[in-house]
Amino acid sequence: MDYVIQELKTLFSGQNFEKKRGDLLFATLDTGVLVQALKHLRDMLGFRHLVLITAVDWIEEDLFQITYLLRNYTQKTDVGIRVFVPRSNPIMESIHTLWETAATYQRELHEMFGIDFPGSPRVNKPFILEGWQEIPPYRRDFDTKKYAEETYFPRPGRKTHDPETYMKQKLYPDGTES
Amino acid sequence: MKYFEEDRSKFPPKNADGSFQIDLESHKFTHIWQGPQHPGVTGNMSLELIIQGDEVMQCETHVGYLHRGFEKLMERRKYIQCFPLVCRICVPEPDFNEYCFAAGVEELAGIEVPEKALWIRTLVLEMARLASYLMWMGGAAGSLGHGLPGQWTNYLRDYILDRFEELTGGRIYHMYILPGGVRNDLPEGFKQRLLEVLDDIEQIMKDVKTVMFNNTVFKKRTQGLGIIDPSWVEPYGITGPNARAAGIPLDVRKDSPYLKYPELDFEPVTGQESDAYTRLDVRRRDLLITVDLIRQILNKMPENGEYMAPLPNVLNWEIPRGETYVRAECTRGEYGYYMVSDGSMYPRRVNVRGPSYTHAVALMEKLVVGVNIADVAALMTSLHTYPPEIER
Amino acid sequence: MKISDILQPLTAWKNLVKDPITIKDPLNRVAAPRYRGFHKNDLETCIGCGTCEAICQNAAIDMVPVEGIETKDGDSGLRPRIDYGRCCWCGLCVDICTTGSLTMSNAYQWIDNDPEVFRFIPGAEEKPWDTADKGYKRPENYTLNPLKRVSMEELNPADRIQGFMEIVKGFSRDQALQEADRCVSCGICVATCPAHMGIPAYIEAIRNDDLNQGMRILYETNPFPEVCGRVCTHKCETVCSIFHRGDPVSIRWLKRYIADQIPEHEYAAILDSPQEETGKKVAIIGAGPAGLSAAYYLRLQGHTVVIFEAQPEAGGMMRYGIPEYRLPYDQLDKDIKYIKHIGVKIRTETRVGRDISLESLHKDFDIIYAATGLHEGRSTRAKGSDHPKVYQAVNLLRDFTKGLEIPYEAPVIVIGGGNVAMDIARTLARLHMQKMGRVDITLTCLETEDIMPADREEIVEAREEGIQIIPGYGPLEVVSNGDTLKGLKTVRCVSVFDENGRFNPKFDHSDTQFLPASIIVEAIGQGMDLSYIPESIKKEMKTDARGRIQVDAYYQTSLPWFFAGGDIIEGPDVIHAIANGHTAAKRIDHILRGEQ
Repeated sequence: MDYVIQELKTLFSGQNFEKKRGDLLFATLDTGVLVQALKHLRDMLGFRHLVLITAVDWIEEDLFQITYLLRNYTQKTDVGIRVFVPRSNPIMESIHTLWETAATYQRELHEMFGIDFPGSPRVNKPFILEGWQEIPPYRRDFDTKKYAEETYFPRPGRKTHDPETYMKQKLYPDGTES
Repeated sequence: MKYFEEDRSKFPPKNADGSFQIDLESHKFTHIWQGPQHPGVTGNMSLELIIQGDEVMQCETHVGYLHRGFEKLMERRKYIQCFPLVCRICVPEPDFNEYCFAAGVEELAGIEVPEKALWIRTLVLEMARLASYLMWMGGAAGSLGHGLPGQWTNYLRDYILDRFEELTGGRIYHMYILPGGVRNDLPEGFKQRLLEVLDDIEQIMKDVKTVMFNNTVFKKRTQGLGIIDPSWVEPYGITGPNARAAGIPLDVRKDSPYLKYPELDFEPVTGQESDAYTRLDVRRRDLLITVDLIRQILNKMPENGEYMAPLPNVLNWEIPRGETYVRAECTRGEYGYYMVSDGSMYPRRVNVRGPSYTHAVALMEKLVVGVNIADVAALMTSLHTYPPEIER
Repeated sequence: MKISDILQPLTAWKNLVKDPITIKDPLNRVAAPRYRGFHKNDLETCIGCGTCEAICQNAAIDMVPVEGIETKDGDSGLRPRIDYGRCCWCGLCVDICTTGSLTMSNAYQWIDNDPEVFRFIPGAEEKPWDTADKGYKRPENYTLNPLKRVSMEELNPADRIQGFMEIVKGFSRDQALQEADRCVSCGICVATCPAHMGIPAYIEAIRNDDLNQGMRILYETNPFPEVCGRVCTHKCETVCSIFHRGDPVSIRWLKRYIADQIPEHEYAAILDSPQEETGKKVAIIGAGPAGLSAAYYLRLQGHTVVIFEAQPEAGGMMRYGIPEYRLPYDQLDKDIKYIKHIGVKIRTETRVGRDISLESLHKDFDIIYAATGLHEGRSTRAKGSDHPKVYQAVNLLRDFTKGLEIPYEAPVIVIGGGNVAMDIARTLARLHMQKMGRVDITLTCLETEDIMPADREEIVEAREEGIQIIPGYGPLEVVSNGDTLKGLKTVRCVSVFDENGRFNPKFDHSDTQFLPASIIVEAIGQGMDLSYIPESIKKEMKTDARGRIQVDAYYQTSLPWFFAGGDIIEGPDVIHAIANGHTAAKRIDHILRGEQ
């Protein structure tokens, strides 16, 4: 894995290298060099299998992390490349030209996180959520509980009691000793 | 006006990029949906097909009928509360989810799993493989008009579910592999009863081979159907038996050994023809390898030992900040969990990578073009796709 | 095409002659012994802690009152009601159940047209599977919450007996985090704590490493975290839900951890300052825990508070009763200093009734709160117990704190089985060690060991320090020869309480012992001295048949301006005293603000 770190460092100024296991490395790259770097990893370093593309919403820092996980079948190693795009303008270059199957991942990310991949086939077409009206649901600011409560009908007749509060009501309602 | 063009070399006309020019108004095409409720599809997904005569011209995969938003739901559940949730991502083989989730948490939290638990987990995963293959075999048989072998394999699966029931307390959703180990030791006499089921399976699989795989109708319909070129494996992210049938021996159990697989003796099954028949046959042979693996596991597993590592109070469990990816070989290929922790009691992000994600969408849409409408179901089962792991 | 591929499939016909493998009666199929079916709950064992509800990711469990189950110490009176429309049968509720009352049967077949019946309280509504012995139970050696306490480091007996160093060392950060992690935040303990401290909340603050927040929570109900973190009788721990299957959470040591970590000079910045001056004045008699607690909360409300204390320093029994090895003076001072810091005035060496009269206080102040405590030792009244070498434990402890010489001639006999007896015995043991290099102390009491009122750890530690304990014997006669004490004759006590639970010891006079002694210390209880209340006032005050002052739930006597609290009302216990000081303060504040 050290040669991967070396290459990513010198050629693509990679940072934040993190060896998770002997066979799994994470690194952060700039968005500008990502496609080049993935192509280099694929063609020169043998990382020929695109395991997955996914995103993480770091809403506190106003960033989306996009993770590309690649696998080298001969070395049996994986490398995870992270890039960060601003939440306010989430656009990332498409890599469907490198891996055909990337288009599906990008289509899902567009739907679930609202990250755009211009040029990716069918990227704007609904994938899982046909007819979705709300903000992209995998963003942290989408409240699933609130959505469920407003959309579905909670079963009537449910009521619960917090033991501490209930005991206070029963045993020392005005805060004095029992 | 001709509604059917016999000379397919000229019809339909092609666009510059090689795709067909399809004019639905011409009445020469039929627009049909296969699924989401269709006995020939694997689970609730649908293929939007455009056919000319009985030949598929274009296909688009539609998913979303099973979307429950598991990944999002996990973000507002404590780690322990995700445990009953993950198994539901894949109905026929929930244990791979349980294992991957547990392994991810253990890696992020730095938990050492006891030896006995590793053995039991290996056993459970192979039992799940067996159950899943047996059920799939029934589906595959059914999609090709073979009712009988489907009934045999499904009752065999029920025997495995019986063993799951006595081991884990559940038949379908086992909720047994917990971060830190497994929830209980093997019950008394379990090994013996499981071995008996294995004997049954071997016996019946001989019949399945004779009745189904050595059946001329079956062969006629599956040989040459949906050939995957080995060069597609990388761009389409094909894994598991679908890749192995193309002669590429991808198997996570061998490539990145986990649990107790390094101590087990087996070779991944491969094929050459890469058509539906080969894929089905690769799975049939893989099923028999699994039977053998379970025997090895039962033989090598230590009798006694801890099955659970001590956990902190799971109600207050905070996992250190970090990210990881763990994978396992399920019946369909590479199953993986990408997990990100922000140091809190709740996972920041859990992303489930199911093998069907690539097989059922990009690959399926490519393979189905030119296939006879009657064989679409067989093609789907030969790819062994499960929609819930696509849409989670 | 091979001819065999056409013929071979025909072998399937052989199944025609085979027996079917289907289950004949699927509705009555019995599930496996571990099967996770409908829940069972042993309502007697269940304490309604609600951890099952907390862990349920489906929100399938509600905690609801059940008829016939009373809310009491250690039991919320609530029981889980399960909605099987939501339950996913994972059984985590069974795994986390603190008492082990919740289990699952292996029953899973139940058909009904009414969906409402699938929401019920297991155990309260009779079901056919209530008696099923099969079904999922938490396996042995498997637990989702640690049951063993983080052990507390203590001085070993050989070292601690050398002097008055504090025995308990306190938690390190790691230890505290680990112990705080064990709490399941059920809150059952809060009702049992006399001060109703926010226990789960401050333990959570420890987990979050936010000790300032923890400090604020402590001071909401108790201005003596250093004291209570050391010597509280920790009733909370006796009802801790974890105690049902494991060690209770070390609530007391965790409280101490918070207070120990924060230096005194940071208190003011963390805690609330007093509100604007109201101009109202409250006099408090006695600077013990009750008086100081009342003073703190009254001062926070902006009232002027003056405490009159007979002794040279504030603290009451916390200083003059509890030995330094349990509660170091600097830690007590830390708590008291902060009470002084917010503006409470303490006039020491001012005994009301001698140096200043109650009437003059009544004239100068709006309200008076008397918390003068129990400082008069009670005698056993055994024959010869008026001998000059028979001493009272409270007097010796007080003198020792003041730095005076106290008698210690070996052998010493201490009479009494409570914490005060332990305190004096262990104090004298240290003196023995210092003066003679060996311990020669025997402690004897009426109670057998299982009902000795002292804390268990006190008994264990006293023994470790070389004190001989002879429980189950009552004093019969002090044997002396003029000024020289010879010893104590004791008689075996058969029972301490009568069938009504009243103190009424019965003796077996055929079983007596003689214990040689040079001095005897009596530590069988303390009484109060109310001589500072003039007869004219006492007459107007409502008292009970035995002359004890009667107060309402807010510690107000029948005289609206006179409140009484602390040990003179509640009996000896520091946390009760602090709690009722706080309660009285709330009431006094209402009155001073003209609210009712």
